[in-house]
Amino acid sequence: NVQPPEKPLQAEEWNRLRESFQSPEVFEEVMFNSMVRCNSSIDVAKSLLTHVAKSNGDIAYHLLVKYLALCVQQGQTSEIRDVYDIMKIRFRILESGAYNLLIRGMSNSDQWRMALTLLEEVKKVTTPSRTNYESCIKAASRHQEMNLAFELYHEMLAKDLVPTLDVLQAFFEFSRGMKGAELQKELFGILLYLRDNQIYPHKTFMQSIKLWFESIPGGNWRGQLTNIKDSGQCPVCNHQLEDGDLTEEEYNNLKERIIRDVIHGTDTFRKTSPQEFEAFQTFVENRLPFDIVIDGLNVSHIKPRRMQCENLFDAVNCLAKGNARLLVLGRKHMLINSSNWKREIMKEMQNKADFFFAENISEDDAFLLYATLRSGKHCKFVTRDFLRDHKACLSDSLTRHLFRKWQRGHQIVFSPSAEGRHINFLPAFNYDCVVQTTGDTWHIPYKDSFEEKYSYRVPRKWLCIQQK
Amino acid sequence: PSEKLDLDAWKKVMKSGLQEEVSETVSERKDLSTLAAAREILEMWRLAGRSVPENISEEQLKTFMECPSKSAKKKYLKYLHLKELYKKNDKRKMDEKRERRLETQKQPSETDETKRSSFICLWASSMDKAYNWRVAQSMIFGQPLIFDMSYEKDMSVREVANTVRQIVLSESCNRRSVDPFHIHFCNFNDDSLYHKEFIKHYKEAWGKLLITVTDQCYTDVFPKDKLIYLTADSPKVMKTFDHDKIYIIGSMVDRSIKTGVSLARAKRLGLETAALPLEKYLLWNSGAKNLTLDQMMHILLTLKDTGDWKKALEFVPKRKYCGFVNRP
Repeated sequence: NVQPPEKPLQAEEWNRLRESFQSPEVFEEVMFNSMVRCNSSIDVAKSLLTHVAKSNGDIAYHLLVKYLALCVQQGQTSEIRDVYDIMKIRFRILESGAYNLLIRGMSNSDQWRMALTLLEEVKKVTTPSRTNYESCIKAASRHQEMNLAFELYHEMLAKDLVPTLDVLQAFFEFSRGMKGAELQKELFGILLYLRDNQIYPHKTFMQSIKLWFESIPGGNWRGQLTNIKDSGQCPVCNHQLEDGDLTEEEYNNLKERIIRDVIHGTDTFRKTSPQEFEAFQTFVENRLPFDIVIDGLNVSHIKPRRMQCENLFDAVNCLAKGNARLLVLGRKHMLINSSNWKREIMKEMQNKADFFFAENISEDDAFLLYATLRSGKHCKFVTRDFLRDHKACLSDSLTRHLFRKWQRGHQIVFSPSAEGRHINFLPAFNYDCVVQTTGDTWHIPYKDSFEEKYSYRVPRKWLCIQQK
Repeated sequence: PSEKLDLDAWKKVMKSGLQEEVSETVSERKDLSTLAAAREILEMWRLAGRSVPENISEEQLKTFMECPSKSAKKKYLKYLHLKELYKKNDKRKMDEKRERRLETQKQPSETDETKRSSFICLWASSMDKAYNWRVAQSMIFGQPLIFDMSYEKDMSVREVANTVRQIVLSESCNRRSVDPFHIHFCNFNDDSLYHKEFIKHYKEAWGKLLITVTDQCYTDVFPKDKLIYLTADSPKVMKTFDHDKIYIIGSMVDRSIKTGVSLARAKRLGLETAALPLEKYLLWNSGAKNLTLDQMMHILLTLKDTGDWKKALEFVPKRKYCGFVNRP
């Protein structure tokens, strides 16, 4: 590693440095990298370029790109333009690395419209990246050209590029206090985009949304942060949130797709066997409908120090309250008397719930999904598993979203804070955790931080916005 | 005192002497075909220092343009780039070797004493004859070993190519062993991608291989109760190597780790399955439990000859385990 010099150097001085470097053939490259890292003055970089140009009569493309990176980093607009001009003379076309830098550099300057021209140039050879669009959109909205910004936004959506939360936030940030029905419609459109894709904004993004609403001239919007009650009622406006139920059509669609993609997949034998699945179907049909379907093996591991069958026994007892019809899914090995599975306890449990034991090499999760969906909309299921691998089996994103929505409303999870002897469960959500509106109210769930570690975690904090 | 530095001198250098080229580029740009345009972009990527091959054939360029996404394109180019590098290195080494050989030939030949040895010099062809004799014996008396060639639809083109390469390696180490298996390719179709790839590797030797190739399923060729399907997903762990059984290896490379594909096959046909006792003998470190086909072949051959698990499992790649389990 080399430290870039403080001041511009003469040719001889560069030569000396180069010779002292262990692999002189990559000296310039390493030096430029280190200049970018140390944010050296561009004069130093220029002196190196001059030295290279004079001794070789030319400067390699990758060195120009690195110099460009340094200029962009420091916002040296005129220098960026010069490099662009030189590159255009020297090379017929440029590759995306240079364009990324040029667009980023120009969009942050007062010559930001140049970035739009560059974007057009990129479009001629390839699809621009989402960061290209991001730079241009931000530049346009920073200069209050919201129409232009939205035009670019729709263009990128049409190209299947996924906008970053940053871009979406920028729209709210820069539209603050602006008037116009069209603009308002567009921003509502972004909120609906969040809804459709089940995206939760983070805290600062949420703040931008709140401030924008409150700034709409004559809008009389008021936003407040809150927690929604378990019943699904908003404590601020007493509004009842949407329930998470799927429509009849969505529900049937999901059921069919689960059977087709998750249970059968490419080969029914991978997760079960046709005979076994048929036996299971008959079993379920004869005992329908269940209220709660339990993943027996998963639940039996809740408390690691206890016998597995005791854990399951506690769970069954806890869930059997109120005459709920239970189905426990297990594997055949649970029936063999062992240190973890006592025959007497298993016997006793089988009086309280229906049991289905799958082959030891079959996947019981697939059965869990089937039995729950077959029982109808009221039926819930219990497992600590997040079912991500099953969701991944579904082939399109629309069905995956349906699955997520259904999962939020129907999965009962074990309460993690249960320290005592008894097992507690968190009820499934009565309401759907997604951006929603009634026209004169908006309810927006948000995450505490930008960092989204667990995409399956549903936020419990909300922004309630109502029009007075 | 140093002279004043002209920091923008490089710009003058870059702009000078290029004016004539400029006029040229403007007129030329219009009649670029898409292929030529792609080639040009690749050239720019190469200049930018990305992993891009120096030379690319028309066919490769087309494959490149058909890649569905930007990252697929990047991956494909990197693959070509590395391939090119390896090829270049090999060529360089060959040249060096040739030079060295020429050098030694120039020196006066050694005394005749070394040449007058009591051993016959065994050339590769006579070794081949001996090997072939053994494999021919095994085709009559040897223990069968089956490669199940029914996974083509579960693999990408590249995975099929890798599979065939691994089988070619397996076949060669089988041929050289003291007591070879009688290799069967079952479920093998002549119009398959497997076949095409085999021809690529073996050329005219394909027709002379001492193995049995059939489009029949192993269940039609052998009694079902003799068959054991080897798969890492099997719940049963192999204890000993049974000389009376016929083992089946799935000819599949799954880079995307498709669990349960070969287990599903065995389940469908109602065959017994087994997995290698990797956990029992090795302190597993990391990596998938599925091994390459040639590793499987080495392991099975060693088991057949010695029955020694420790010796056999030496062929598991060292990076995957950190040692052998110590038994009391």
